[in-house]
Amino acid sequence: MIKDQNLPENENDVLLSLEDVWKIYPMGEVEVPALKGITVEIKKRDFVAIIGASGSGKSTMMNLIGCLDIPSKGRILLKDQDISQFSESDLATFRGKTIGFIFQQYNLIPTMSAFENVMLPLEFQEIDDRTASQKAKEILAFLGLADKIHHLPSQLSGGQQQRVSIARCLVTDPEIILADEPTGALDSVTGKNIIEMLHKFWKDDGKTIIMVTHDSNLAKYANTTIELKDGKIIRIQENEVD
Amino acid sequence: MKLSKCLKHALNMVLHSKLRSWLTILGIVIGVASVIAIVSLGEGLEQSLTEQLGDLGGDIITITPGFSRGGDIRSGGDIRFAPEGTGAQATDEETVLDRTDVQALRGLPDIELIDTQIRGNVDVSYLGKSGSVSLTGVDQKVWSLITTNEIREGRMLNSADQNVIVIGGGLADSFFDQPLGINKVITIEDSAFRIVGILDDGSNSIVMPIQMAYQLLDDKEKDVYDSLVVKIRDEDNLDAAIEKIENKLMITRHVTETDRDFSVSSGQQMNKMRSEMLGSMSAFLTAIAAVSLLVGSVGISNTMFTSVLEKTKEIGIMKAIGARNKDILAIFLFNAGLIGLAGGIVGVILGIILSGVMPYLMSDIPLARGGTYVSVDIILIALSVSVLVGIIAGFVPAYQGSKLRPVDALRYE
Ligand SMILES: Nc1ncnc2c1ncn2[C@@H]1O[C@H](COP(=O)(O)OP(=O)(O)OP(=O)(O)O)[C@@H](O)[C@H]1O
Ligand SMILES: [Mg+2]
Repeated sequence: MIKDQNLPENENDVLLSLEDVWKIYPMGEVEVPALKGITVEIKKRDFVAIIGASGSGKSTMMNLIGCLDIPSKGRILLKDQDISQFSESDLATFRGKTIGFIFQQYNLIPTMSAFENVMLPLEFQEIDDRTASQKAKEILAFLGLADKIHHLPSQLSGGQQQRVSIARCLVTDPEIILADEPTGALDSVTGKNIIEMLHKFWKDDGKTIIMVTHDSNLAKYANTTIELKDGKIIRIQENEVD
Repeated sequence: MKLSKCLKHALNMVLHSKLRSWLTILGIVIGVASVIAIVSLGEGLEQSLTEQLGDLGGDIITITPGFSRGGDIRSGGDIRFAPEGTGAQATDEETVLDRTDVQALRGLPDIELIDTQIRGNVDVSYLGKSGSVSLTGVDQKVWSLITTNEIREGRMLNSADQNVIVIGGGLADSFFDQPLGINKVITIEDSAFRIVGILDDGSNSIVMPIQMAYQLLDDKEKDVYDSLVVKIRDEDNLDAAIEKIENKLMITRHVTETDRDFSVSSGQQMNKMRSEMLGSMSAFLTAIAAVSLLVGSVGISNTMFTSVLEKTKEIGIMKAIGARNKDILAIFLFNAGLIGLAGGIVGVILGIILSGVMPYLMSDIPLARGGTYVSVDIILIALSVSVLVGIIAGFVPAYQGSKLRPVDALRYE
């Protein structure tokens, strides 16, 4: 399914491209266009920050990139494959292996412990229990949660919950990390912690990261900033980052 | 996701479900409990009937005067256990069985023995206490060869016997203040009789030579019988023998199929009748139970719709991290099956308790006298049906949940 695995890696490889993507929500009689002809290419090992006012279409764009939704018009190519060609179940498997999500509200399953939450994506991939639980524990320990693995989300602080959700995202070793306002619910110190963590995954582990944020202070961690307004890209800016 | 994992997550969901959703398993609980109780009652009844009727003897035929379409519910042996008046007396009161009939039957080669019997109620007294019991007068030469009753103590009647009786175990043990034993003398309608045998049963009955019985039962005419009990030579020819007896008697009594005035029945026939009765009764009760299971399944369906709705967000999360539709479907189906199973288990426990106390609560109802019996089979059947009901009831909501689009599900609050 995945074509370019054996090709030599190239810094400028295009990982993701949106070609004239529209998303139109039917709202009763009227139609609300949330995205109006987005065309953009995101390369492997980019750290992209998507900024823009509330309602400008940032989350809508993230959902499309994350294969959680399909465009009304236009094409989305992920690793050279048109995602609209996938069957629903292939898309789910592909999504599970390729993309990791970090949500603003953490979106942990409240009835499962931190450990069980992190195990979940591996279980969907039918990875054997021993490997899976070893991986999950390693990652939780790496994120400083070794002593919290049996806690339920409700027994953790916001920052800890977000770290659990990051562990859940990383445990499948995804190529792309999608983070929709990952620090939105956290105080600025904890938020900065989280961002620095993402920055490290990008820099040291070569992950491609796409992050939505309101905060221009956080946007400067990214090497590319895309600004949306009323469903259109009004600016793409390359940043200097260390 | 592996099915075992789906089951694990489903179990987790069940364990974390709210009290409210537990209430909806009530329908299943009631359905299963009533099925267990009903079936245990039926099986208990069947067992006690088999015990009672099992030794009726396949070679015994009873002939009684009168005829009704319903047949004759009377024991083929000696002691009737059906309530007074259950016998067929639909036709003319004048119809009787007498010596002519006996003569006619003697001509049939299929018949080995004929016992002539009369019945009535008599007053008995012993050591100043008295009461009324049923008396059967039998042809003492034949009775011991035909009867299916067993002797517990003493002996059967024999041809030389005059003023002696055989009594039922109940009469011997508990009818009077003091138990009766062999060679004790009791007074029946002012005459003294010596006990020579005690039957191995619980009845309050007396068996004595028919000639003595005629003297005690004033309203009985000599050589007129209340029933003829016949033993045939070959058990396998029962049906043929019954037919021959019927044809012979119709000829000698000058009646036809339409105006016949006597009934012929066998223990086998009665067994069949009883089990048919039982069958239709339990079919009726099972229908009631099925309705409550149906109500239960609506409850589960309702719970599942609510549960899928409540878990919409979680479905979205799971889909985002790689769950396929069929994973979601499996988790929710297992969940529904487990809810059904939980209802089934509670129902089985309740049903066993119910079937334990039922015989005491309904001791006045003849149906409950047999006691109850809960078999492993019925428990397994009940549990599998509950799981099945759960899964069927949960299918539509689970399917809907599995079809949710990830964006929509994630947006749900
Ligand atoms: N499911 C939907 N149905 C109808 N309209 C929608 C839906 N989702 C989004 N919209 C509309 O599309 C537009 C873009 O929404 P989107 O959630 O992408 O904004 P956003 O940039 O993420 O805003 P915020 O910063 O507040 O999260 C908004 O006008 C919103 O009302
Ligand atoms: Mg948003």
